[in-house]
Amino acid sequence: MELTPDILKKLIKSAQMATDQEIGCEECFDELHEFAELELAGKSPAEAKPLVQDHLDKCGSCREEYQALLEALRNIENDN
Amino acid sequence: MINWFKRRRNKKTSYDTNEEWVEALSPPVDEQAVEVLRKKLIQGLKPALHKYVDRELDQFVEDVAQDALLKVLDNIDTFRGESKLTTWAMKIAVREGLTELRLKRYDDISIEDLKPNDESREVFSLSVASNETSPDRSLHESQLIDKVMQIINEELTDKQKKAINALMIQGLPMPAVVKLMHTNRNALYKLVYDARMKIKTKLELEGIDPEKMLNKL
Repeated sequence: MELTPDILKKLIKSAQMATDQEIGCEECFDELHEFAELELAGKSPAEAKPLVQDHLDKCGSCREEYQALLEALRNIENDN
Repeated sequence: MINWFKRRRNKKTSYDTNEEWVEALSPPVDEQAVEVLRKKLIQGLKPALHKYVDRELDQFVEDVAQDALLKVLDNIDTFRGESKLTTWAMKIAVREGLTELRLKRYDDISIEDLKPNDESREVFSLSVASNETSPDRSLHESQLIDKVMQIINEELTDKQKKAINALMIQGLPMPAVVKLMHTNRNALYKLVYDARMKIKTKLELEGIDPEKMLNKL
């Protein structure tokens, strides 16, 4: 394992961002449908569910799913 | 033929409330409701997944919708009504589709074939500042690198080291590391979370301010 300054920065920043209340992918998924509806309704999901927002900021896979979900929902909403 | 049309016309084609959906999707299942939901899922999945699928999008989306419907029907009793039922079902379908795509993406590739990719969006997203460093900082850098290496070696488990190495040092995408470590995404996230907390706590115990540390790099 070799650490370059760039990787070191990434690692330290990642550790620095760790919080006691961080949730995992499954807990995020459990709340994602509510989070999405808040966003689509023009409300502030990050304020209502800060831990979900925090997880989405940190987890690329969950963020990718969330963005795809929003796109899917916008499409079926347009049709309703 | 006329009777068939009459039967079709009598069937419900829209389900406006969650109560109607839940009733229709609970045993005995209303096949018409399943069909309406299937169409909705397909309608949403196509635009959401098209950029990930290079061919046979229609067939892929049909298959995903079918698998998602089975999950929805199996889990209908767990739906708590916190959103529209269609939103909840779409969430399940989108995850189903992306999971399938990620599996396919790494199915035919051995881990040895995976090249490091620091630009990947699926490594924990961390904005890294400019990597330009002045020559007189090199001593600081090597001292900091030694300190963090020491923490990694002394505080982290072998599994945590492996995950950190794969995700942050080699820059492998998360789904590839899931495959490499024979785990699942949630377990991997928790494993790395515990490692990050250990590093953070150790830095604090040693009186090292991560912010100052970053500024020195």
